[in-house]
Amino acid sequence: MTVKTEGIIKIDKELCTGCRRCTGVCPVDAIEGEKGQPQTINVERCVLCGQCVQICSAYASAFDEDIAPREQKMEERNMLPSVKEPLFASYYTGHAPTVKKVLVNNSLFTMVQCAPAVRVAIAEEFGMPLGSLTPGKMAAALKKLGFNRVYDTNFTADLTIMEEGNELIKRVTEGGVLPMFTSCCPAWVKFIEQDYPELIPHLSSCKSPQQMAGALFKTYGAQVDGVDAAKVYSVSVMPCVCKKFECERPEMKDSGYRDVDVAITTRELAQLIKDAGIDFNGLPEEEFDKPLGTYTGAGTIFGATGGVMEAALRTAYELITKQEIPDVNLKLVRGVEGVRTADVKVGDLTLKVAVVAGLKNVIPVLEAIKAGKADFHFIEVMTCPVGCVSGGGQPKVLIPDEQANAYTNRTCNTYVHDENMEYRKSHNNPEIKKIYEKFLVEDNIHHLLHTKYTPRR
Amino acid sequence: MNTFVVANPNKCIGCKACEIACAVAHLGTSVATAGFIDAPFSPRISLVRAEMVTMPIQCRQCDDAPCANACPVAAIVNQDNKIVVKPELCIGCKTCIVACPFGAIDVVPRCQNGKEQMQMSLNVITKEGKENKEVMVAHKCDLCAGRLGGPACVEVCPGDAFTLVKPEVINDSIKNKRLSSALDIIGK
Repeated sequence: MTVKTEGIIKIDKELCTGCRRCTGVCPVDAIEGEKGQPQTINVERCVLCGQCVQICSAYASAFDEDIAPREQKMEERNMLPSVKEPLFASYYTGHAPTVKKVLVNNSLFTMVQCAPAVRVAIAEEFGMPLGSLTPGKMAAALKKLGFNRVYDTNFTADLTIMEEGNELIKRVTEGGVLPMFTSCCPAWVKFIEQDYPELIPHLSSCKSPQQMAGALFKTYGAQVDGVDAAKVYSVSVMPCVCKKFECERPEMKDSGYRDVDVAITTRELAQLIKDAGIDFNGLPEEEFDKPLGTYTGAGTIFGATGGVMEAALRTAYELITKQEIPDVNLKLVRGVEGVRTADVKVGDLTLKVAVVAGLKNVIPVLEAIKAGKADFHFIEVMTCPVGCVSGGGQPKVLIPDEQANAYTNRTCNTYVHDENMEYRKSHNNPEIKKIYEKFLVEDNIHHLLHTKYTPRR
Repeated sequence: MNTFVVANPNKCIGCKACEIACAVAHLGTSVATAGFIDAPFSPRISLVRAEMVTMPIQCRQCDDAPCANACPVAAIVNQDNKIVVKPELCIGCKTCIVACPFGAIDVVPRCQNGKEQMQMSLNVITKEGKENKEVMVAHKCDLCAGRLGGPACVEVCPGDAFTLVKPEVINDSIKNKRLSSALDIIGK
């Protein structure tokens, strides 16, 4: 199967100084070149995490001679002409101009989703303190931009928990392949497909929340609004560069159309908001639209490392024991260490779980599994250093010390948001209950919400 | 003696992190992310990349500062152990640029609170008409005056290539050299 990875992340030869700091953060050693010379990306190896984009400090200076004009570079990068920020050597090709065009196309019905980590970072691009929590302003900005429906990836994060939780229970009770791996992170999925294809059966068959949302927008979402699914244009806003790759995977068209038409990053959404002249900081807060924008605290903690695990455990505990979980804050799976393990008592069962942040940290775990030396039931893996809040599509923090603060604050406010939600367990989300009653049945659950993976070796 | 910052070309990896840290430290407003920057970076340190060498160049804070001696309006002064440009006095004549043996001085638009300052009456005549000209001033390393952590370039460098040379560093170095000279002379 061919999937286009070429051209998503690139290194500008005219700007790269060959300092090779990016090679220190690349989890798959995909950046090649001599010291002092422009680097290139091995597109087969690259998992599109975008950490090279975050660390790159080789910018286009006014003193750089013999380089293409800024306008030309911005066009090559598919950026809005109004963008004023400096250009760096390592970059991803954008989609903001595509979204801008779609928003003025009256023949389309636009639906947008926003990943959990976007709401704790986007305000940074407007000068607010690092990690500011602004879901209401973000929803308001999306409405002002002209999206017909402002939905939320957090809803499908809750849905992922329902599906993945049930899959885990089934694998544990019926002797399925264990440990089960989470499948929300597309860079991690690509890594397994190319480096450990023999472990593909361990991956949960659940699509990522982005792709579940895409599949529902053009089915259930179109039904709710009584619009022709062919007219629905589905946009996602992600803290992640690899989501651009995931939405272009050829199999991701189970709604009958491309499920997610285009994925933009947190930075690109900020650029669109500025381009439209919207005063983000001054916006009054608004709600996400129902039904596909209703979410619980469990959905929002997907943005932090350990969040998917914690959300899954909250639900699995109650589904298995039929009792309320004693403490909804499962702090034993939170933290910043690259690998965290815990034994969680769920009724008579002790679930052995592991949480991995930073793709390089997963290799010893995978080797242990292959050697039969790891008896975990469930493992969460996120490619970026502390999960999606530190994703490659998040605002680029210029000073390293401040980057550490940004990650801490974004994580902290993710949990603050969870604590202040009316519902904190995915199975309590009223719209989740409703979609299982009204729309999802055994046939379309499998078709719309689950997927298969491709060995790439 | 003046304090100065100097980089070791053998340690410099050419990443330009010092230029960014410098530009951000002098913005006068708190800016954390690239997306919040709406003007080109204007660093007071400049990475040189040539076949033989990669290293940042910045002001040496010369004790007999040729830039200050050449300035026709005395806009460059020695203050708190460093050479400082007083932008309110500078007339943008560029004499200091010529005088500086290191290439450490630029002339850039003067900004206050992130806004470019305009001339009182000097206009630029263009085909479309005339418009106020921006105020241009000499621009050089001020050792991040007023910054708590000291010079931002030193702090941010991933290669640890910078040395903050304070008078005591020079004095100690001279003393040590004198001692070893004396020891050499008596043959020990």
